[in-house]
Amino acid sequence: MKANDPVAGAQDSIASAVATRPKTNRLFPTLDGVFHEEVFVLILSVFIGIFSGLAVVCFRLTIDWIHLALLGPLPETHSWRLFAVPSLAGLVVAVLVLHVFPGIRGSGVNQTKSALYIFNGYIPFRTAIGKFICAGIAIGSGQSLGPEDPSLQIGAGIASALGRQLQISRERVRLMAPVGAAAGLAAAFNAPISAVLFVIEEVIGRWSAGILGSVVLSAVSSVVIVRSFLGSEPLFRIPVTTFKRPSELIAYAVLGVVGGLASVLFAKSIGSLRPRLKALPRWTQYFQPACAGLLVGLIAFLGAPQVMGAGYGAMDEAMHGQYAWKFLAILALLKIVATSVSFVSGTPGGMFAPTLFIGAMLGGAVGDIERLFFPHLTGSTGTYVLVGMGVLFAGFLRVPMTSVFMVLEVSGNYEIIVPVIVANACSYLVSRSLLTVPIFDMLTRQDGLILPSLEEDREETILRVEDAMLAAPKAVLSGQDNVEANVRRVQDSPESAFLVRMHPSGWNTITRDQLQRLEREGKGELTLASVLPTQTLPSLYPDLPLDSALRYVNDYALVPVVNRADSRLLEGIVTRESVLDKYGRRRAVEVPGSV
Amino acid sequence: MWWRRVKSIPRSAPVILLLLTVAAATGFAAVGHLVSRYNANQQSRGRTLYQLGLDYVRSGSYDNAIAAFRAALSCDPGDSQYQLSLARALRDSNDPRRLDEAESYLLALWQRTPQDAAVNLALARVAAHRGSIEDAVRYYHNAMYGVWGSDPDGNRNKARVELIEFLLKKNAHAQADSELIALAAALPNNPAAHLQAAQLFEQAQDYAGALTQNEQALLSQPGNPSALAGAGEAAYRSGNYSIAAHFLHDAVEADPGNAEARRLLDLTDLILANNPFHSHISDAERNRRIAAAFAQAGNRLSACARQAGVDLSHSPTVSASPLPGLQSLWLLAQPKLKLLRAAAAETDIPDAVMDVVFQIERQTAATCGPPQGRDLALLMISQKREAAGQ
Repeated sequence: MKANDPVAGAQDSIASAVATRPKTNRLFPTLDGVFHEEVFVLILSVFIGIFSGLAVVCFRLTIDWIHLALLGPLPETHSWRLFAVPSLAGLVVAVLVLHVFPGIRGSGVNQTKSALYIFNGYIPFRTAIGKFICAGIAIGSGQSLGPEDPSLQIGAGIASALGRQLQISRERVRLMAPVGAAAGLAAAFNAPISAVLFVIEEVIGRWSAGILGSVVLSAVSSVVIVRSFLGSEPLFRIPVTTFKRPSELIAYAVLGVVGGLASVLFAKSIGSLRPRLKALPRWTQYFQPACAGLLVGLIAFLGAPQVMGAGYGAMDEAMHGQYAWKFLAILALLKIVATSVSFVSGTPGGMFAPTLFIGAMLGGAVGDIERLFFPHLTGSTGTYVLVGMGVLFAGFLRVPMTSVFMVLEVSGNYEIIVPVIVANACSYLVSRSLLTVPIFDMLTRQDGLILPSLEEDREETILRVEDAMLAAPKAVLSGQDNVEANVRRVQDSPESAFLVRMHPSGWNTITRDQLQRLEREGKGELTLASVLPTQTLPSLYPDLPLDSALRYVNDYALVPVVNRADSRLLEGIVTRESVLDKYGRRRAVEVPGSV
Repeated sequence: MWWRRVKSIPRSAPVILLLLTVAAATGFAAVGHLVSRYNANQQSRGRTLYQLGLDYVRSGSYDNAIAAFRAALSCDPGDSQYQLSLARALRDSNDPRRLDEAESYLLALWQRTPQDAAVNLALARVAAHRGSIEDAVRYYHNAMYGVWGSDPDGNRNKARVELIEFLLKKNAHAQADSELIALAAALPNNPAAHLQAAQLFEQAQDYAGALTQNEQALLSQPGNPSALAGAGEAAYRSGNYSIAAHFLHDAVEADPGNAEARRLLDLTDLILANNPFHSHISDAERNRRIAAAFAQAGNRLSACARQAGVDLSHSPTVSASPLPGLQSLWLLAQPKLKLLRAAAAETDIPDAVMDVVFQIERQTAATCGPPQGRDLALLMISQKREAAGQ
């Protein structure tokens, strides 16, 4: 089974490469006194951005050139080329994917994420080259896929190769792939903020100050490169967008709900078709991209050439009210079909542009229908198209923050931020309630991998110190009082260990036996502070994660939990038992049946 | 692999950064070369597609033109000429949904070159298509004061003429008048330009202005039949019948086939021959004209009553038609005719009699339709008197 699975084969080759890779840090011993590795990585991030930007420029030229060469400069309807070209290109791509570049199927986001979490940041450079060639042929020939995700993987591949060759530490090599991914995506979208956010939300899966600087630097430098070669023209010409009355938010919320439902339909169609096609005999994989190309071509031949390729031109036209709502709705539906088929067939290419396309068409259709029933609505078709793009992004890719910034960055218009947030939130909530696993997680699980997800992290209940905190003991000793006075204070107390409040700050601990022994040794007149060790007890705050208490509860019988505003004010204490008890109870809740 | 050789290079940060810089510079140069070649090819393809688009525009095939211009723009997205042509094609395709897109292209161009007169003119036309007077006036003015590639004065006048036509279509006569004054002040000494301005003045019902422009045209080109006919008509509309007769006579002489000029000349002659208030006629002639007008009005009233099926013998208070009332007025005024010959020139009898005549002519015109011949002449005299009174 594994021998027939190109993904598994690619993973094996990656794993073996990782195993044979030198693990010593050969570069930085010689850099001592010149650069810290951290500074060097920041500088390297700029170069990653430059190289990724250059690669993405070439990638875009390749797609354009292939499109012109195969489909011609003028859009033709009812031409045989519309279905012949994507079908034949599909055959070529299938052969390349199966024999020359295994492991380049799909979008590239999951592969980058896998590199980060499983393969120590290793992405074969061959994968980046393969992605460039095969995605270029596929998208240029009209397969319903986008160039953004491949750009992301190309950037990640370049970054990974650079990091490995320069032999920086393993921890940093692992983070190079997301740095390159941000550069590739930023260059493809000409939108650095969205790229950074996407990489944080989807690839890295957590906010990490250590990586943020590198990600931002690489994204910005790649965008600068792309703009210097291809100009700073935005992807779309943004029409006048307006948002006048708050009551119109209801209309955008409806769009959000419809977008959420469409996201679920889109994700489910991919999620259910993909394993079925993968389960077919290996020889069928030679023909799956060709069949997908044939279907996309037939849709184009029958009157909807807009579904071919990334579809930015059609989005632009939709934004300017060129299509009636019925045609917009049909285009959205056809694009879901075309992209699902293209993607699950294993053709390398991305889902970002198709997602934007479906959202744009759906937004335009919903907006026009709403205006039919409520003519007083002031939002133009362009406004609904723009909001719709974000809606699908939020619902399908499940990146709510990226989706908002994507729309704002692409439109350069902050007037519509409120409708965008409302619609995206509705779409995200609908999608999340109907589809528990986000699309990228679904795809990785279908490939047999379990990767961390920021969405799951967000939903995970975090135990905090206050959850395991016990009430503050009645008898708190004072370091300024003498031993004798403190012995008298604890006489009636049932506890065996006591907290000592030190002056001017800090805490210490002492047991009843230690106190009594000090008194027997004739130190009753000495202050307690003078006989206790100078090293004070660590203290915790109630809002800290409970994990932080684990560091201390083994070494100290009790750890004070103090107020953040006044460290002498005792909120409670934690002990090893209370912490373990809390974890134990949580396990019992998480594992049904266990107590 | 080639990059494995990197390991043999001494490992120090400056060397690595130098190598990376060299690699980046090399990559930059290589991609720059690639992009410039690609752009050159694209620009060449764009020019071909642009020409194709222009051909389609010339043949009136706007959908194909739009597709060609779009393709040209995809080859060279920054070319303002392609954008302008696409915007014009979108605007002229008579599809209101495309106006937004046209405006979007034009606004993008405008933001880059707000002083470009052609862009402003195109935006003005989009605003005119939308019927937005405020935007249209703003963009037309921008176009007039903007930078033109060639013949700035001619193009500015054309833009102003277009604005005036738009304003007249929108019945914004006050704004049109001020533009007309500006137009008249900036016109070249060219009969065609004066004739066009005269037509605009006439559309704006500024007949004095129209007469002046036609006279200006005649100064440049004496005997121009259009200017003669235009001046005659303008004088006729403004009530200057003597001047009108002069120009119309010359117009008919210069162009005997001009039926409209001949019709106006005949009417003007009738007005001049029947006007009892003409200043250079004797009392006897005035009385004769009043009597003739009175008789003409009586006949017109009888004919109209017959046409409308109204019995003039009915009491005015009983009849729903105003005609019996006019008949009563006419009968009451009849004795005054006899007093005309005896009365001194300063009495108000002529006015009183002619008032009855004018009332009859106006009311019969309203009831029985526009009059002809002498009745029309009397009606015109009535209107001129009324206008002078106001």
